[in-house]
Amino acid sequence: MKKRGLATVMAVMMAVGMTTGATAPVLADEEVTIQVFSNLPDRTSGQGLIEQMLFDKYMEENPNVKIEIEALDDASYKTKFKAYASGSDMPDLVNIWGQPSFLSEVIEAGLLAELNMDDYADYHFIEGSLDGFSRDGKLYGLARNTDVMGFYYNKAIFEECGVEVPTTYDELVEAVNTIKEKGYIPISMDGTDKYPLTIYIQDIYQKLVGADNYANSTAAVESGEYGEEWLKAAQMLVDMASAGGFQAGFETTDYGTAKNLFTNSQCAMYYMGSWEMSMATNEEIPEDVRNNISVFTMPVVDGGAGAATDICAWNGGGYAITEKSDVKEEAIKLLNYMFEPENWSKLCWENGVCMSAQNFGDYLTGEETELQNKWVEIVNNATSLSGVTINDLGSSEFKTVSEDTSVELAIGSITPEDYFNTLSGLR
Amino acid sequence: MKKLYSNKLVIFSLVAPGLLVFMVAILSPIVLSVYYGFTEYSGMGEATFIGIENYKTLVKDSVFWTALKNSLLLAIGFICIQHPLAMLVAVKLDKLQGKAEGIFRCIYFIPNVISVAVIAYLWKFIYNPNFGLIKKVLDFVGYKGQVNLLGTGTAIWAVLVVLVWHGFGWGMLIYYTGVKNIDPVMYEAAAIDGATGATTFLKITLPLMKPVIQVNVTMAVISALKQMETVYLLTSGGPGNETQFMASYLYKQAFNSYKYGYGNAISVIFISICLIATVVLNKVFEEKKA
Repeated sequence: MKKRGLATVMAVMMAVGMTTGATAPVLADEEVTIQVFSNLPDRTSGQGLIEQMLFDKYMEENPNVKIEIEALDDASYKTKFKAYASGSDMPDLVNIWGQPSFLSEVIEAGLLAELNMDDYADYHFIEGSLDGFSRDGKLYGLARNTDVMGFYYNKAIFEECGVEVPTTYDELVEAVNTIKEKGYIPISMDGTDKYPLTIYIQDIYQKLVGADNYANSTAAVESGEYGEEWLKAAQMLVDMASAGGFQAGFETTDYGTAKNLFTNSQCAMYYMGSWEMSMATNEEIPEDVRNNISVFTMPVVDGGAGAATDICAWNGGGYAITEKSDVKEEAIKLLNYMFEPENWSKLCWENGVCMSAQNFGDYLTGEETELQNKWVEIVNNATSLSGVTINDLGSSEFKTVSEDTSVELAIGSITPEDYFNTLSGLR
Repeated sequence: MKKLYSNKLVIFSLVAPGLLVFMVAILSPIVLSVYYGFTEYSGMGEATFIGIENYKTLVKDSVFWTALKNSLLLAIGFICIQHPLAMLVAVKLDKLQGKAEGIFRCIYFIPNVISVAVIAYLWKFIYNPNFGLIKKVLDFVGYKGQVNLLGTGTAIWAVLVVLVWHGFGWGMLIYYTGVKNIDPVMYEAAAIDGATGATTFLKITLPLMKPVIQVNVTMAVISALKQMETVYLLTSGGPGNETQFMASYLYKQAFNSYKYGYGNAISVIFISICLIATVVLNKVFEEKKA
C-alpha cells in the first residue's frame, strides 16, 4: 500500500513536470551569465574603464546578472573573433567595427542578431552614425564613438621652434622642416598598425576633393579606378616621409612607441585619432606635456576643393549581439542599458575619454580640457565628414593589402602608381 | 601473459588511445587543411569548392615566395651560424669544468627561458633608431647618421640575428649533453697518442656527435620553417612584407585577410616542405653513416 501511494505521488509529480517543464517561465531572479568579448583590454583607464564601470553598475542594479569579460587588443581580438565565428560558442555581446572590411562577412555569415531600430529613437545617435552597422534596412550593432583623425601637437615645442599651427599643407611642410632643424622629430607615426598611413592618404584626398570624398572613395574601391587626386595624395605621403616628417623607422614603430615619442617630448606632433584625447587627463604622461597638448586637423591643400572643415571622421567601433546567444534578450537589455544617453555618452565625455556616436552636447560641464574643447569645436564646425576611410571600404583582403602596401609606399619601395595598381585588382 | 598480449581486444585497447589522439589532434586537422585548401572560405559561413585555384594563386604570389625564401634563409642561418657556434661553445664549456661551467651554461641558456614577447620587445628597443641601444652606442662613438636596422633592406638580417641569438642556448644545451655523453677515456687515449685539440674534435667529438647533430639540425630546420611569434611581434612581417615567413604569412592570410581557404593551401605546402626537409636530412645523415 505504501509502495502504491509513493508510486502515485511519483506519477503525479512526473506528469506535472512533463506538462510544465517545457514552458517553465524564467524567474525574474534567475541567474544569467552574459559573456562579453571586448577589444578594450585596459580596464583601468580610457574606454575600457568606462565599459567596466557600466558593467559593474549593471550587475549592481541586476544582481541576478553576471557579466564575464574577455578582453584583447585589436589585432588579437580580430583573430579570436574569427576563431569564435568559425565555431559555435561565440560570446553574447561582442565588439564590432561598422566597416565593410569587418562587418560584411560577419553579417553574411548570419552571426549577429538584428536589433530593433525603434528601441533607439530616444538615444540621440548622431545622424548617419548607425549606417555602417546596418544592412538592407536592418540594424546589427550600435556605434561607440565618433572618431576624428588629427595632429596632436605639443604647444611648448611649437613655441620653442617658433612654429604656428599650420593652416595649409605647405605650412605644415615648412613647420616640419623647422621642427627638424631644432632637433625634434616632427610627426610621430604608428607604422606597425599601418592604418594611420592609409588614413593620411584619405585625409589629404579629402582636402583635394572636398565633400565628394565619400562618394568618390566608394566608387573608386568598387570600380578599381583611382583618379589623379588619389595619386597626388599618395605622393604627398611619400614626400612627407622622405623629407623626414616622420620619425626614423616609423614603418616598424608600434602604437605605444609612437605615442611615447610624443608624450616624452621627442616628437612635436602625433598623427592619431580623437580616441587619444584622454592624453590630456592621463596622469602617467608628464604634466608639462599633458597640459600642452592641443590638436589640429589636416590643413587645406592649395588648389584643393576641400575646406579646413571637411574632416576625416567616421564611426568605427561598436557593439553587437550574437544571433545564437543563449541569453540574447538579456544581452540586448545590457547593450541598450550601456547606450542609454546617461551612460556611455555621458561617462565618456565627463571622463575626457572620447566623443561618443550620440549627441553629447547636453553633457558639457564647462570643465573640459582644452583638448576636449578643441575636438568639440572641430566636430561642431565640420561641413563634411569623410565617413569610412578607404582601407575599410572593401573586403578584409582589400584592407590588409591597402594597409600593407601603404607602408611600402611610404618608405619608397613602390610608387603611387604601383600602389593604386595593386588596389585596383581588389575589391 | 603471452595469451593476453595475443588477444586482439587487448591489443586494440592498448593501441586505441594513442591512435585516437593521433587521429583527432594530428590527422584530422591535416585532412581538413587539405580539404579547405581546395575551397574559397572566409572562416565564416559556407565554404565553396574551387579546385586548385588557391594553389594556382600561390604560384603567382610573390609574397609567398619571399616568405619561403626567408624561411629557408633562416634555416641556413641556423645550420651555418647558430649550430657550429653552439657546438663549439658546448665543447669549450665541457672543457671548463667547475663552477664556471655551470655559470656559463646558465648564461647561454637565459634567452631561452625569457618569453618570446619580451625578447621581441627587447630587440625592438635595441634596434629603435630614435632611442635604441645601438643608436646610443653609435652616438657615443660619434656617428651622426641614422641607422634603422629594422628598415627596408636590413630588416631581414636584423630579424635573423635575433632568431639565431634566441635559439642559440637551446642548440648549445643539446650539444653540451651530447658532448658530456662521450666517454672521457677516448679523449685520454687520444691525448696519450698526442692528438691536438682540433684532431680530437674532428676525429672523436664530431663523429660521435652525429646522432645529436642530426636531431638538432632537423629541429632547427623545422623551427625555421615554422617561425612565427618572434617575427610577428618584432616586425609583423614588415616593412611591407620583407620579413614575412611561411607561418606568419599563413596566419596573415587566414586571420587578417579572412582568406581561410588560401591560408590552408599555404599550410599544405608548408607541411609538405617540412616533411621533405625531414626526409632529405635523414637521407643526408644516413649516407654519411654509410
